[in-house]
Amino acid sequence: MSDQSRQPVLQLEQLTRVHGSGATEVHALRGVNLSVFPGELVAVMGPSGSGKSTLLTIAGGLDNPTSGKVVVEGTDITQVTRKELAALRRRSIGYVFQDYNLIPALTAAENVALPRELDGTSARKARVSALAALEEMGLSHLADRFPDEMSGGQQQRVAIARALVGDRRLVLADEPTGALDSETGESVLALLRSRCDAGAAGILVTHEPRFAAWADRVVFLRDGSVVDETIRTDAESLLAGSGTGTGGQAGAK
Amino acid sequence: MKGWYHSWLAAIRIARRDAWRSKGRSILVLAMIAVPILGVSAIDVTLRSAELTPAQGLTREMGAADAILSEAGWGGGPIHQPPDPRFTGTEPVGGFEQYENKPMPEGHADVTKAIPAGAKVLTDTTAMSRLRTTHGLLDTELREIKAGDPMVTGAIVPTGGRFPEKAGEIAATDAFLKNSGLSVGSTLTARSLDTTFTVVGSYELPHALKTTQVIAPPGTFIAPLNKALEAQGLPSAGNHTSYLVSVGGEGFTWNMVKEANAKGVQVNSRAVILSPPPDSEVPYFQKNPRKTEELGSNRELLTIAATIVGMALLEVCLLAGPAFAVGARRSRRQLGLVGANGGDRRHIRAIVLSGGLVIGVAAAVVGTILGLLLTLALQPVLEGVMGKRFGTFTVQPLELLGIAAAAVITGLLAAIVPAVNASRQTPLASLTGRRGVRRANRVLPVLGLIAVALGVAIALYGATSSENILLVAGGSGIAELGVVALTPVLVGLFGRLGGWLPLSPRLALRDAVRNRGRTAPAVAAVLAAVAGTVAVATYAESQDAKQRAQYQAMLPHGSGKATTDEAGGRDVPAVRQAIQANISLDALADVQRIVIGSKTCTSYSEDKKCGTYDVFIPKANRCALHDPAKGPDAFTVAERRKLSKDWRCQVNEGGNTPQQGGVLVGDEKVLKALSITDPTLVNALKEGKAVSFDQTAFMNGKTGINVVTDQKKAEEARAANKEAPGKVHELPSVLAPKSVNGYGLQLLVPPSLAKSAGFTTVPFGVVFSTSALPSTEQKQALDGAIDKIGLNEGVVIEAGYVSENGIVLLALTVFAGLITIGAAGIATGLAQADAEADLKTLAAVGAPPRVRRALSGFQCGTVSFMGVVLGSAAGVLPAIALILSDRRTDAANMQEHLDMGWGTSGMANVDMPIVIPWETLGALIVVVPLGAALLAALVTRSRGALARREVG
Repeated sequence: MSDQSRQPVLQLEQLTRVHGSGATEVHALRGVNLSVFPGELVAVMGPSGSGKSTLLTIAGGLDNPTSGKVVVEGTDITQVTRKELAALRRRSIGYVFQDYNLIPALTAAENVALPRELDGTSARKARVSALAALEEMGLSHLADRFPDEMSGGQQQRVAIARALVGDRRLVLADEPTGALDSETGESVLALLRSRCDAGAAGILVTHEPRFAAWADRVVFLRDGSVVDETIRTDAESLLAGSGTGTGGQAGAK
Repeated sequence: MKGWYHSWLAAIRIARRDAWRSKGRSILVLAMIAVPILGVSAIDVTLRSAELTPAQGLTREMGAADAILSEAGWGGGPIHQPPDPRFTGTEPVGGFEQYENKPMPEGHADVTKAIPAGAKVLTDTTAMSRLRTTHGLLDTELREIKAGDPMVTGAIVPTGGRFPEKAGEIAATDAFLKNSGLSVGSTLTARSLDTTFTVVGSYELPHALKTTQVIAPPGTFIAPLNKALEAQGLPSAGNHTSYLVSVGGEGFTWNMVKEANAKGVQVNSRAVILSPPPDSEVPYFQKNPRKTEELGSNRELLTIAATIVGMALLEVCLLAGPAFAVGARRSRRQLGLVGANGGDRRHIRAIVLSGGLVIGVAAAVVGTILGLLLTLALQPVLEGVMGKRFGTFTVQPLELLGIAAAAVITGLLAAIVPAVNASRQTPLASLTGRRGVRRANRVLPVLGLIAVALGVAIALYGATSSENILLVAGGSGIAELGVVALTPVLVGLFGRLGGWLPLSPRLALRDAVRNRGRTAPAVAAVLAAVAGTVAVATYAESQDAKQRAQYQAMLPHGSGKATTDEAGGRDVPAVRQAIQANISLDALADVQRIVIGSKTCTSYSEDKKCGTYDVFIPKANRCALHDPAKGPDAFTVAERRKLSKDWRCQVNEGGNTPQQGGVLVGDEKVLKALSITDPTLVNALKEGKAVSFDQTAFMNGKTGINVVTDQKKAEEARAANKEAPGKVHELPSVLAPKSVNGYGLQLLVPPSLAKSAGFTTVPFGVVFSTSALPSTEQKQALDGAIDKIGLNEGVVIEAGYVSENGIVLLALTVFAGLITIGAAGIATGLAQADAEADLKTLAAVGAPPRVRRALSGFQCGTVSFMGVVLGSAAGVLPAIALILSDRRTDAANMQEHLDMGWGTSGMANVDMPIVIPWETLGALIVVVPLGAALLAALVTRSRGALARREVG
């Protein structure tokens, strides 16, 4: 476990989420608790429909929980206005999705600069910090390329750079390697790992135990509940021994 | 440094690149916005360029001279003039009032006496004549001036050859050469003058390019022509001389102008017009205070222009709106990503609005630049159309900016609704691409309903209780906007029809109804265009029906006439020949007219040797209302109403039968040509009796013709409201029964009777009848032949009521059809973009490929059908309100005329009927949606594009 003396970047308390009502009622999350500290990368695993993505969207404030608390950098985001929430996403939370993360109309540098520009920073300043972020991650050669001029792996790495530009310390990655071959996928995860080692907090939703191995901690979800939590363990052995292998393999195909 | 504009800059960057990425859609929208901007900016530049500075305008009038002096025309007496008399004219010292009851004094001012000593002078004399050209005769202004003199520089601009220098040479305007088919080097003659003139050069009048004019050296054309005319007993071509004067120094000062005024001379002085003296120094203004400009008609024009511009903007917004909605829909994932990265609703709105801004700005730039280029390129053509050379090519940056701003505003307005809709979607919904029917806006329909109610109330009030047509128009406009706002709800109602339809149309209808957000603007665009068209068509057809009912034939159907009172009727044989050669006739009669004085006298001749005459109405038969000494004011309203029913006050409805003073000389063939077969009348003419068509003129078997020979005394008598002193010649006559219409003729006199009564007659023309109305080609050939003869009036043939609505209605229908197809096409494109998933599902369950085509066709047809049906309903109502309002106005007018004792001649008592334009409606409701559907089906590929992931 990482340094306990520090405050968690993300703290989920008794999180539940119910989609629909009556006959169409679906319990996506049932009382989930989770904290992520600076420098920590947490992998979330589980079969399809286990609530992984819902957890991620609620953690990032894209969706609201039915009950429970979501605290990001000390702010309960379930209690703030939509505007403040958007501001929080600009300043504190970064997303990386499976694919098509970048806005096709903007170059890599402009994509990275976008959150800061939306925040009202001048285009020049935002670009300087974006270039700095790209430089730091060894991506400065991509700065002026448009998304359709980059490979999938390059796009994902630029997306990670965008997720962590400026003061952002929380990156929420939803199967960021899902559309990539395994080698490229490893390089993307290596970058994510290195950013967390540099002080960011990350949640990685994935099907593949191989990728979960990059995490400090693996949280296993099933039917909306945390069924297991492993610290710095061999995820594959966990899967094999937990008796839930069928679901895990179905989700990992 | 943080600021809202930084996030806008990012939004604009995204929008700009997006617009570039989807070029087709961008160009479509850009064109929709840019085309009106192009037109308006071109008009602005043209009007501004055609506007001259006062100095430029004066140069075109007086060349390099300082002033133009001319006779003021008040009998040579002293006058007062304003500093710029060009539009107001002058008045005699003492005012006009002194001449109220007496004729103008005769006499002439000697302009040369008003010219300061030592000034350079150029005489400029004009007259009107007809010149023989390749095509026949052309009305031409003759001008005698030393055109080569430097003083005319700028007023007469040479364009080829040289100016005439000696007798027998002339120069002609380009317009004359074009109209006459002649060129430099041709020869021509004037009618009634044997001399041949050679065209040695061409020129133009920069301010009157369309004037047909020739210039000859002074004394070489007008004087010989007038002499020849006089010798033949023909009226003079006239001559009006003005003097171009150059005095040097300060020019022609106000004091010099006043001196000239004292000698009865009017002065257009460059110096005085450019820097006028204070009003206190102008005696003219003491009697005629300067009028402040009346803004009333301007305001009305402005209102109408604003309404048209507003409706056009609305139409463009409604058409362009869905295109932005497509854009927003296509880039949904991108907007979701922006949301995930902290963009709030404001930012999403900004991005979609920026799309409108980018296209609007591009349209503004493109439209304005193209407008300027177009004006530049078409300058000669535009100058030709306006008949004026441009002063300087004037670009008013502020006005063009304003016009361009309209483009930007249009773009922004069009993008507002899509922007708001896009911003309402949560980033999650955008990212996952979940579709889902959003609840329709509930405020808009309520507002719409209120607007409809309010608009209808205003229009109804305007139609039933007020005289103000603007109320009807304004109310209809408001109601129309309300219907546009109600469109989503109305579209929803259509959905109920879907249950019993086959698969493709049902799918199309359900899809349209479920996605009201994109269907409604397209339907509204169609609705607005169709409503306008249907309103105009209904009103026009109804008015047409009213006019048809009101139509008064000017001659019996199939009868015609051609007359000339020029030169004692020398052209009558040629006219008769032309008519006989070009149309097949049933009857033809030569007619003559009585002349008093010489054979060349005409009814309005000012020649003192000529007398006038008219049909005499005995005192006992005169209508009290028409008594010149008393007039209708002498009676109460009740008396007037009663008198209007008196037989003596029934006014002859008039017509086109040739006559002069109500009298025509001709034999019984005239009756045949007028389709009058009454044997009594035919026999009367044969027996040498006149036929009277006017009961009031007929008394005791006789009808009188009142002949006035002393015109001066007659004028004095008329000025004093007395009867002109004349001699009444009584002719034995027969009164035609009331059922016989003389079409304006009061008395038909057989030639033998005219002769025995001592009247001189001259050929007047022909009346004829034909049972086969000439075709357009025949009519054109006939008109051409008559033109060559040089007749003032053409041939008139009564062909019954001819509606002129056809072309206008057709053009409107085509216009509405094009808008409908355009809007429906855009909506279909939008639906196709959305329906890809449905189509895949359909294909998966085994639907044949043509379903895709059918679906797209039905989607297009559905949108246009809904728009056309709603638009037709929305268009008929205001037209009916307008018609009701017209009916009330007509009735009120009629009553007023009766009450005032003005008579109701020409005011047929017909209520304007309400005629629904079924042809237009049919074309719009059936043909246009069908065409739109077929077109959409044709241009849709039956196979979908390869399945592809949704691109952000």
